[in-house]
Amino acid sequence: MWTFFAFTGPTFILLAVFIFWPIFYSFYLSLFKWNMVSPRKTFLGLQNYKDMFSDDVFRLVVKNTLIMAFFTVVVKMAISLYLATQLNKKIRGSNFYRAIIFSPTFTANVAIAMVWAWIFEPTYGLMRSFLRPLGLPMIDWLKSTSHSLPAVIIVLIWSGIGYDMVLFLAALKNVPLEIYEAAIVDGASPFHVFWKITFPLISPTTFFLTITGFINVLKAFDIARIMTEGGPLNSSNVYVHYLYQNAFQWFRAGYASALALVLFLFIMIITLIQNRLSKSWVHY
Amino acid sequence: MKHHINIRALASKLFTHFVLIIATLVIGLPFVWMLSTSIKGPTEVAMFPPVWWPKVVRFDNFVTAWNTAPFGRFYVNSIVTAAAGVILGVVTAAFAAYAFARIRYKHRNFFFLVMLAAMMIPGQVALIPNYVILAKLNWINTYQGIVVPHVANVFGAFLLRQYFLTIPDDLYDAAQIDGLGHTRTLFHVALPLSRPVLGTLLLYLFIQKWNAYLWPLIVTNKQNMRTLPVGLAMIRSAEYSIGPEHLMAASIFVLMPVLIAYFLAQKQLIEGIAAGAVKG
Amino acid sequence: MKKGIFILVVMLIATTFLFAAAKAEEQKPDRIEILYWRGLTGVAGEAQEEIVRRFNESRDDIHVVVEFQGAYAEILQKMQAALAAGDVPDLVLLDSPHLQIFAKDEAVQNLDRFVKAEGKGFLDDYVPGLLADSYYDGSLYALPALRSTPLLYVNADAFVEAGLPKRAPKTWEEFREFAKKLTKVNDRGETTQYGVGFTLGATTAHWYFQGAVYAYDGRVSDEKFNMYLHEEPAVKAATLWQDMVFKDKTGVPSTTHDDLFTGKVAMVFGSTGSMGNVMRRASFEVIPAFIPGQVRNGVPVGGSVIAMPSTDKWRQWAAWEFLKFFTSPESQAYLAEMTGYMPSRISSAQVPSLVEYYNKNPHWQVAIDQLKYVQPQASVISLPKGTEILRQMVEKLLIGNQDVRKVMAETEADLIKEYNENFK
Repeated sequence: MWTFFAFTGPTFILLAVFIFWPIFYSFYLSLFKWNMVSPRKTFLGLQNYKDMFSDDVFRLVVKNTLIMAFFTVVVKMAISLYLATQLNKKIRGSNFYRAIIFSPTFTANVAIAMVWAWIFEPTYGLMRSFLRPLGLPMIDWLKSTSHSLPAVIIVLIWSGIGYDMVLFLAALKNVPLEIYEAAIVDGASPFHVFWKITFPLISPTTFFLTITGFINVLKAFDIARIMTEGGPLNSSNVYVHYLYQNAFQWFRAGYASALALVLFLFIMIITLIQNRLSKSWVHY
Repeated sequence: MKHHINIRALASKLFTHFVLIIATLVIGLPFVWMLSTSIKGPTEVAMFPPVWWPKVVRFDNFVTAWNTAPFGRFYVNSIVTAAAGVILGVVTAAFAAYAFARIRYKHRNFFFLVMLAAMMIPGQVALIPNYVILAKLNWINTYQGIVVPHVANVFGAFLLRQYFLTIPDDLYDAAQIDGLGHTRTLFHVALPLSRPVLGTLLLYLFIQKWNAYLWPLIVTNKQNMRTLPVGLAMIRSAEYSIGPEHLMAASIFVLMPVLIAYFLAQKQLIEGIAAGAVKG
Repeated sequence: MKKGIFILVVMLIATTFLFAAAKAEEQKPDRIEILYWRGLTGVAGEAQEEIVRRFNESRDDIHVVVEFQGAYAEILQKMQAALAAGDVPDLVLLDSPHLQIFAKDEAVQNLDRFVKAEGKGFLDDYVPGLLADSYYDGSLYALPALRSTPLLYVNADAFVEAGLPKRAPKTWEEFREFAKKLTKVNDRGETTQYGVGFTLGATTAHWYFQGAVYAYDGRVSDEKFNMYLHEEPAVKAATLWQDMVFKDKTGVPSTTHDDLFTGKVAMVFGSTGSMGNVMRRASFEVIPAFIPGQVRNGVPVGGSVIAMPSTDKWRQWAAWEFLKFFTSPESQAYLAEMTGYMPSRISSAQVPSLVEYYNKNPHWQVAIDQLKYVQPQASVISLPKGTEILRQMVEKLLIGNQDVRKVMAETEADLIKEYNENFK
């Protein structure tokens, strides 16, 4: 037993200090109004939580975050799965393709946000030269209430495809050849082979990527912060960015703490639901 | 008959290449664009239709960008904090993972759930409380301040535990028979067998720590302790004295070493990730 | 007995130590090192470093360590974190609206006692319009560091090309007319050059808008936080801006001055503080000019102040010495010459190098001349979310194209709420 604690000790001590204690302290703070500057804290009880539900910006931010999470995860996984199936075929140069497509994973978000901000520039950016031949008008992506969130989503998808693709590829390669051979002998169509055989066999990977992908997107901050700062008019403001604004720009430590706790609860619920679901559709 | 099948097969192969080429272009073009912009002068940067190879190549953009902040120092800081974070993180995770996989304890499951719970907590909640702790320890603006709060690595422990569980019992039993204690078993049996997953973990953690932005920003006060992403973002607020060409040049400093290392080692790295994730 | 003597001796030694320690507290250390957190990049950053260097060279007993902390927003964030942790710098450069928040909670030192110790008339040489917003509740909490007023920067070459006189528009009506001539549309219907870029920066959108409101002889709010956005002047200013973007299609929201340099727009608003950078980076002739007037001329003051969070007695003394140096006529003249920020000392105007500099570069005189029209910013700027609410107002007008009166009413409601909840 002592060995157990010796081995897990460092991890638990660090978790206790840097992850668990902050939650309690944040919960404590969420019951107050505190501007982080003065020692004076005003007790509010649950007022911060009540305010959240009447806060229009909060509602918008939640909507944006969910839209962002949904589209990013779904589109990214669909594209990367498709690419993985293509890459799985025996063709020359697959390593090269794979290497390039995976490269954004290594790239710092700051740099990604900066180059994409320049790409989205309405007059001189690369995006305009792609839209022009399609007859589309100049779009000021980052300053438009309708296009700023899509811009962020595009960047998140772009940078995430590689990682998902590589994991899918590994999972695909792990499907034993005999299964395919058996299916072909049985006269199954490629479509049937994929959905009824391959897809279920790679479900642990799909499951893993869905959970981690979704949760990571909920916590997205860097790209939104650097490309759009949540604007304009909060059209690309996402949850953690709103939390950051409240805590560090508007001196609402109490309210920000309440936001953090709600996010925490939300993520917990999602994880529990997905756990339930996994028991039914993941095949090992 | 044979002829027929060959054409179909060929068409399918061509289509696959076509799809992959498009994907590669979509992913690769922004990087090329970044390079292209970084060597343009102020007039060519602002041209439409865009110019890919400028008439006047301005390598001095890199000099200007380099001089706007101490990038050499930023490099050192990023390397030190990322490396330290990764090593400490993997070691603590390995110990914890081993304990959860191989050390019998009555309440083991309970503690495991506690650890999993920690994974679900968004880091942003801990920003100010963690800063307060660091200040009391006098760790503001130090390497340990940047590294330590994020050493505890539940994801790594989880991943390693999964992997350790798949190692056949006989191997562990053999170690026990040979008289190895838990620690030696961990380092001589479990970890060596986990090389694929270790690769994944090291890579994953390194990326996270190298790219970390918000926490190093808050923890560091002096230029001499800032990391690359923080340094890069700070240049951006110098919008009045530098233009997109310098921003792109600076981005390249930040990306280049990582991308070069990546391309040299990518085969092993990608395959490591792949193998690790599948087992996991 | 032995034990008793032993205890006595220990106590004696302990007391001596305590006494010595207390005495040491009393004595001024030979060399005090203080920490100054600065902001601003480019020329303004370098100029501050030079002032620090000069100060350090001139004194053996104080050494200032200067750290760049990022943009105003980052400095704000770091100050909060530093205060929460009890680890503050001795001096910090703050965007002037941020001062109130810290002053209110005594997170920065009340400087009255330092001023008093300097003797009578110490503050007389400070330009009143630039000193006004360093006060809170009647006491002084900072000194003006790098002060600015908004300016209009125009692309003179583009003006000439458009057949306009080579001068900036004098009134907002003229501004609108000029913008129409400066806007170019190609045959695909795309606008290749806009007359003006309306700045939506987080720290500046509200500032230029105030300039427009003042020109129409209106105001945003007063010391008692009564709101005036619903009145005609503010409504007129807002409507003009909105119509230029959506009806005339001669204006466009902008976030950086790059839009001027790339030729996307022919006019931008900027600060006197960015004059150095703008003139250097432009590849065409730039004319800095007054913010257009209308019924009258009036501009809000802006820029930064330096406050003193330090809590240690001797470090405070050292910090005050540096503050005096930073705001001395010579230092302010140097800063003005290098950056285009305005000297906060009246007698800076007599410093020879500055006189010569203005003679060689008459454009820089603009900021000085506009000083006679300077007014303090609206009180709501000091509310924690004040500038953000005003920035969102500008966004609603220039991006959302929402009804002007409705936007003004909403903004006032938000400001009043913010005042009631977070300031009173």
